[in-house]
Amino acid sequence: MTDPQRPGRDERFGATGSPSSSMTWPPPTGAGKIGTYVPPLLESLGRDSMDPGYAEAAARRAVDPQGRRPSRASQVIAAAAGLLMAGLLFGTAAGATVSNEPRAEKARSALLEDIDRAQTHQSELAASASALAADLRSTQADLGAAGPLQTVAELERASGSTAVHGPGLRIVIDQGNSGDTSGVGVIQDRDIQLLVNDLWAAGAEAISVGGVRLRPTSSIRQAGGSILVDNRPVFWPITVDAIGEPSALQVRTVGSAGFGRFSSLAQLYDIQFDVTAQQDMALPAGSGAELRYAQGPGPAESGSSGTAAPATAPAPATAPATATPSPATPSTATPPTTPAGSSPASSGSTSPVPTATATSTS
Amino acid sequence: MYAVLALVVGVVVGLFVHPTVPDWLAPYLPIAVIAALDAVFGGLRARLDHIFDAKVFVISFVANVLVAAFIVFLGDQLGVGAQLSTAVVVVLGIRIFGNAAAIRRHIFKA
Repeated sequence: MTDPQRPGRDERFGATGSPSSSMTWPPPTGAGKIGTYVPPLLESLGRDSMDPGYAEAAARRAVDPQGRRPSRASQVIAAAAGLLMAGLLFGTAAGATVSNEPRAEKARSALLEDIDRAQTHQSELAASASALAADLRSTQADLGAAGPLQTVAELERASGSTAVHGPGLRIVIDQGNSGDTSGVGVIQDRDIQLLVNDLWAAGAEAISVGGVRLRPTSSIRQAGGSILVDNRPVFWPITVDAIGEPSALQVRTVGSAGFGRFSSLAQLYDIQFDVTAQQDMALPAGSGAELRYAQGPGPAESGSSGTAAPATAPAPATAPATATPSPATPSTATPPTTPAGSSPASSGSTSPVPTATATSTS
Repeated sequence: MYAVLALVVGVVVGLFVHPTVPDWLAPYLPIAVIAALDAVFGGLRARLDHIFDAKVFVISFVANVLVAAFIVFLGDQLGVGAQLSTAVVVVLGIRIFGNAAAIRRHIFKA
């Protein structure tokens, strides 16, 4: 900083026009030229860090010491007022920053609560839908009409739209801990596809992969390192549950290509591949098939049945009656029934006909 | 001395009274804070240089805050609010650093 004893240092206002590195009081002799010299932007940025107004005011005082000099008290009051404002600004900004932080956090947790509540609501609705469907089936069974409805029930079970339980085979497969973190593991979708197809061929009546019940139209695919069953990701270890006569199922599966592939994989890559017979396994109902309704080209009705659609659009004969679990009665004794005229969307042409080992449950 | 006291009182009042900042003003608060910081540092340096002037301080403080906020407001209206905020922060930041360096030299003679 400039020594106050050397007034000649500050050449900013001097005739040379070459600014020096300081610009402080006391002002130079050429104070009358204040404001005429405009230094380049960057230069002034680095140099004029203090407001030039201070120097100007001091220059005015030096030129006219008897001028309208404000009293010391008013100086202090003005400075205090200014600093009070600055302090208020700082405090307010700090307070706003602090108070905004929990608000954002609160919004996030509120959203999470919303999600939780919606999920709870969804499961409640699903449970009530199952209960209502069970009521409906038992009422219809009481009313009779067992003949055609039994066929419907069998088709529904074959299409995986009702929950079932019974004895069967449980296969647990897991990627080996070979340290391969490249995403794609040893076991791929086609291996699981092969295994599942062999299980069907061995007489399995219902299969779930990773807790997802397989329907006749289900897919087992791979997306990156994860396996998607019916477009729902399943996680390692993957449990393949197949309901069927356990011993027969096991004997026939062991001789199959899928089983052989997995055993060789287990030997080569140290994957987990455990086959156990289970006395009673519960398989969930598969997700309902998407029913598609024909739409007439006329005025767009919202797809509800029985609307005044043109004659080219057949009125939908299938009510959305899939994914409705049947009551907890053995299906072979008192078959669950569905409304007349309704049928599962997919008739399960590839699924084997269920036998007495698979019983429907709620 | 009184001035420093006023600054502290202002900070404490702002922190504890919690004046609600209207939403339309909230984006300009940080810029206003930077401008106020610049004015305060400038005033402190002027005081150490024995050329402090309360009128200059108050006017430069208010004007700095208003102009900085106005520039950012204008930028927001023009769609370059973020860039102009950066410009204001860079300019005022350089000034704050310059003043802080001068104050440091005053106090520590180094």
